[in-house]
Amino acid sequence: MLFRRDNKHTSGKSQKKEKDLSPVVYVTDSLKQYHTDLVEKEVASLWELNLIGTSFDSVLGETERFQEKLENLEQNFLSVNEASEHFVTVKNDIAKTVDQAQNEMEILKNSSLQVETHFGEMGTTFAALQDSVELIKQRMSRIVSIADQTNILAINASIEAARAGEKGKGFAVVAAEVKKLADEIKDLAAEVGSGLQDVEQGTDKLSESIGTSREALGKSLDKVQETYNMFDQITQAAEGATSVHTQITEVIGESRTALGILCGFFDKIKDQYQEVIKHIHLAGRLGTTKSAMFEDIDNLLSQIGPIIKE
Amino acid sequence: MKQFFGMSQRGDLKEAVRGLTNPQLILLMSNSNQFEEHVKELEALYPQVPSIGCIGMCYDTRVAEQGVGVVAFLNGVSAAANVLEQVSVMPVKYIHRLKEDLRRVNASQSDTICIDFCSGNDACVLTTIHTALRQQNISLVGGTGDGGKVSANGKVYPDSVAYALIKNQGGKVKAYKENIYRQIGDYKFIASQTDKANYRMGALNGKSARQVYQDILHVSEQQILTQTFKNPFGKLNGDETCIISIKEVNGNALACFRQVNDSDVLILLELGDYKQIVKETIQKICQDFPRRSAVFSVNCLFRYKLFSENGYMHEYLRDMSTLGDHAGLVGYGEHYNNQFVNQSMTCVVFE
Repeated sequence: MLFRRDNKHTSGKSQKKEKDLSPVVYVTDSLKQYHTDLVEKEVASLWELNLIGTSFDSVLGETERFQEKLENLEQNFLSVNEASEHFVTVKNDIAKTVDQAQNEMEILKNSSLQVETHFGEMGTTFAALQDSVELIKQRMSRIVSIADQTNILAINASIEAARAGEKGKGFAVVAAEVKKLADEIKDLAAEVGSGLQDVEQGTDKLSESIGTSREALGKSLDKVQETYNMFDQITQAAEGATSVHTQITEVIGESRTALGILCGFFDKIKDQYQEVIKHIHLAGRLGTTKSAMFEDIDNLLSQIGPIIKE
Repeated sequence: MKQFFGMSQRGDLKEAVRGLTNPQLILLMSNSNQFEEHVKELEALYPQVPSIGCIGMCYDTRVAEQGVGVVAFLNGVSAAANVLEQVSVMPVKYIHRLKEDLRRVNASQSDTICIDFCSGNDACVLTTIHTALRQQNISLVGGTGDGGKVSANGKVYPDSVAYALIKNQGGKVKAYKENIYRQIGDYKFIASQTDKANYRMGALNGKSARQVYQDILHVSEQQILTQTFKNPFGKLNGDETCIISIKEVNGNALACFRQVNDSDVLILLELGDYKQIVKETIQKICQDFPRRSAVFSVNCLFRYKLFSENGYMHEYLRDMSTLGDHAGLVGYGEHYNNQFVNQSMTCVVFE
């Protein structure tokens, strides 16, 4: 089916149409339609702007809450810092205490060695003393025996000398001399007594040595006790470190929770921003369509003048 | 329906229409020297057959630069053709013709297309035509011819737009626009100090349009006119980008091949991978239309020059011919619905 028109032979109705002002009416109607469209676009633009405002409000609200959470997070980190510092202090205390314990242990060791030495000396002294006493006993027994025999002999000799009379005078002198010797032996015995006194003094010294040893041993025991106490402190300090570790773990847990919330906020903010960007793009797109519509309006309006003039 | 294409590189219309019988609509693309003669001759050969014509190069798998070409639609179409005159001042005065033709072909969105050849004032013409087409959401594909004149139904009209309404009785029709450019950077400009009559824009974001273009692309004033092949402007219109070519430098302003208005939002474009983009266009058409009767396209003269300089034009036409019967016009500006664009390709696909 073909439709064509020879414009040389346009109908009278059509010719009339081209001479009257109906085009103006047509332009007006078209402009009204554009105006309606324009208003719709404008309303859509305003709506998009409103959505932008709403989205930004949400963004701001989320941002404020986000800031609060950040502050909490900052506090959590401060707690972590404090806990870490406490942990460091505890660690230092432990090191110091262990160092002290090591020093005390060294002293204890030296004291024990000293005690051992003292006990060694004491044993030697006792052995020497026993030997000396035994020897003295033997010598004393012999001396006493000799002195007794000598005295008996001297007495017998004196008796025999007396019986012999003059002839025994010389013998009496000998007997006297023997007696004199016996006396000297007694003197020697006295000196032995003096030696025994020395032995007694040695015994005293030995007692003193034992006392010193006991004292040293007591000190050692004190040091052992102190060491035990030190180890108690170490144990307590270690328990403190465990406590700090627990605190850190708790704080880290809180931080993780806070970070999780933070990530959630980021997601929300991201979504909101995307929403904002989407609306901004829509608003921009509407703006460009309005620009094209303004061009259309201008193109139509520009025809009214020439038509009316004609 | 069927599409016929015939051409004569030596301008012999009879040669061009050889084999054409019972056409239901004829599109004539002639040269400036023979246009009137060809219009008259065509009318004599096919009297009473609706036709429109313009001065311009045409193509199917080859380009007729100086000769004559004829595209005709046969079998299974109903068509009407006419003109809106006085397009430089009052095309709306003749809008009733289009409205009447729309009624006569019983135009509907899915199966009817409007093809137009315009002699100038394209934006105003498209606005005017769109007031009629928008009532039924009829798509439009067309272009600008040379010489300030067009033809309709055997008569030459100066300062006019010739249109043809084609209703595909065998299926759907759909219009496409191909843009081989993409946005460069994040630049967005608000145009101001524009001169609508001379397609001039004085300022972009308040600064000299010429200076802005030079500063971004680091080109001299002399290089601007050739640089537009690579870097035209794009006018944003919703999701659409209308390409605007630079015609010349006027002091601090840039004169374009398309009207720019105050408050237009412009972006700067750069040439994309045009071979890939062409492939994607073809794929899209094939997806939309597994069965195609014909494709009529309008390619910008700038694209023709660009493709030719890059040795791609022949390959391009060969690729487009894979769609089926493909023919078209090399235009001075392209029309896509109510958009007047530069450096683009618009086409209509008939199922």
